[in-house]
Amino acid sequence: MSLYVKKRKRVLKKVLIGFSLFFVGSTAYVLFSSLTSRFFPYPFMGNPVFAVLITTLAALLTYKPLDYLMTQLFKNYLFRKKSYSHMALMDLAEELATILDLTELANLVVNTFGETLHLKTVALVIPSRIRDDYEIISAYGWNVSDCKRVRLPKDSPLLRMIQDGGPHVLVRDRALRTLDWQEANRLAHDFDSLRASWVIPFFAREEFVGVLTFSSYIPESIFDEGDFHFFREFAQEVAKCVRNALSVQELKLANQELQDVQSQLLQSIKIQAIEQLATGIAHEIHNPLTIISGKAQVLLLQKDRASYDERVEEVLKTIVKQTKRAADITKKLLMFSQSSGSPKEMLDLSQVLEDTIALVSYQTSLEGIEVTRSVAGALPPYYANVHEFREVFLNLILNAVQSIGSKGKIHCEIRYRCQDEILEISVSDTGKGIDPQNRDKVFNPFFTTRTNAVGLGLFVTKQIVHRYAGSIRVESRVGEGSLFIVQLPLMESSKRVPAEKSLPLPFLKQVESEASS
Amino acid sequence: MKRLVVVDDESEICDFLKGFFADRDFDVRTATSGEQALKTIGAHKPQVVLLDVHMPGMDGMEVLRAIKSQYPNIKVIMVTAIETREKIEEAMRLGADNYITKPLSLEYLEKDVKEKVALLSESS
Repeated sequence: MSLYVKKRKRVLKKVLIGFSLFFVGSTAYVLFSSLTSRFFPYPFMGNPVFAVLITTLAALLTYKPLDYLMTQLFKNYLFRKKSYSHMALMDLAEELATILDLTELANLVVNTFGETLHLKTVALVIPSRIRDDYEIISAYGWNVSDCKRVRLPKDSPLLRMIQDGGPHVLVRDRALRTLDWQEANRLAHDFDSLRASWVIPFFAREEFVGVLTFSSYIPESIFDEGDFHFFREFAQEVAKCVRNALSVQELKLANQELQDVQSQLLQSIKIQAIEQLATGIAHEIHNPLTIISGKAQVLLLQKDRASYDERVEEVLKTIVKQTKRAADITKKLLMFSQSSGSPKEMLDLSQVLEDTIALVSYQTSLEGIEVTRSVAGALPPYYANVHEFREVFLNLILNAVQSIGSKGKIHCEIRYRCQDEILEISVSDTGKGIDPQNRDKVFNPFFTTRTNAVGLGLFVTKQIVHRYAGSIRVESRVGEGSLFIVQLPLMESSKRVPAEKSLPLPFLKQVESEASS
Repeated sequence: MKRLVVVDDESEICDFLKGFFADRDFDVRTATSGEQALKTIGAHKPQVVLLDVHMPGMDGMEVLRAIKSQYPNIKVIMVTAIETREKIEEAMRLGADNYITKPLSLEYLEKDVKEKVALLSESS
């Protein structure tokens, strides 16, 4: 089909050329003969076919020089216009040196570039921070959602061509012509996905930092070699700035990581201190408690031998009960501090969620908050520390409770996404929401909008989620509520039961029965 | 005769448990350190030992290991102020026969000790 169309086009083109040649020839003949026949009645003028041929030839010979002259004139006019935009762009390049924020820099580059050169689309493409490919960081003439979708793999034909070719401006059609049709097809795909007719590579000291791609409303010939030379210079300036901004961003990230690690350390030191304290307290307090409770129990056990007043029995029972309560406090404190070090096991997260909801049910019912949960389908077992995930659920739910205050709804959901093997936990509330400017800060340590809170809950949650290579994010609308989403990749360890199975513990039952007696 | 050894670095606990079990017709000896405990056990040959886990010097786990290697017949009940899964697992691996936490439920302790003594006298 395409072959047929191509052929038809070619035939059409030839016919058109023929017609125009004939038209040019006859016009020239008519002009020439009307001018000359009055004065020089040459005999061959009498033969119109011959005369048309001669004049056509003459017109063709003069066409090229005339065309050249016209273009030169146009270029002179256009160049003046261009030189203004060149100056504007060089000014921009100087201004860029003072900007260290990558996004701000990118926005300024694409917008100024697009506006001064009256372009249709401009996009700045740099290496992605998260994935191993390239992404558009800022674009002009694009839909925001569209440019977020564009991803350029590292080994894409366009990037390979740039890495082979160095800092030359690539023109779409010219580049395509140098390749065979398969390669050209792939390269064209890259150009089209970036909506580009031209691509300027950015190199900072031989290092490839990104590309600026753009397209215009007018056909491609508006830029010439002189422009490309200028673009290369411009690219050099911009590349330096982008390189700097990238370094600053990396430093910022490293700094953030350092801060995270530091606060994590601080947290673990705190927990260690609590553990030491709790262990000390447990030792010091449990012994006297044992004696107090023991003596009371001795009296209680002697009940059948001597007759007791009922009130005395009541008192003794209270002593035993209250000493046990005192001991439980230190036990809980210990359990909390040891949770991070305790072993992992195969967990049913829906069970953990249910237990946690049961734990807060008293508080939520007091505040008139309804907690619902839904688990989509059967969840695969997750290899993790039960205390940590109890804490994750607890923190998310308590955060929702505090955001609601009183009267509202909390919905917890766990689902398993088979296609990418991810367990997704989401907790939504009908609370007051989070201000946009605070949305990034909610996971920071000691960040809180409440006066009576420490601000560690979500931070600890984030640390735990990260420990399992997961991610946590928040979506929120002020006045409507928030949605926290935790995504946990199902790791290898979860897929098989660990080789060293935990030993059966026949004592635990006894210990429990002892504790409950 | 029912013989029992109570090992705890806190002498008050020792005395208290000694009194409690003496009232229940046990011949009770006490020890306040691991080293002393091993000597007492060697001399007294009890059926059951109540052994504190956390003691300065030789701790409960070491004493447990020593008892189980020298006198495999003696039943050992570990007594501790704090319970952690690791400690319970370790004690079990070393052959402890029970693991209870303070404050003690005397009723449960008495029942358990009596059961163990009865088991031993049956088998012997």
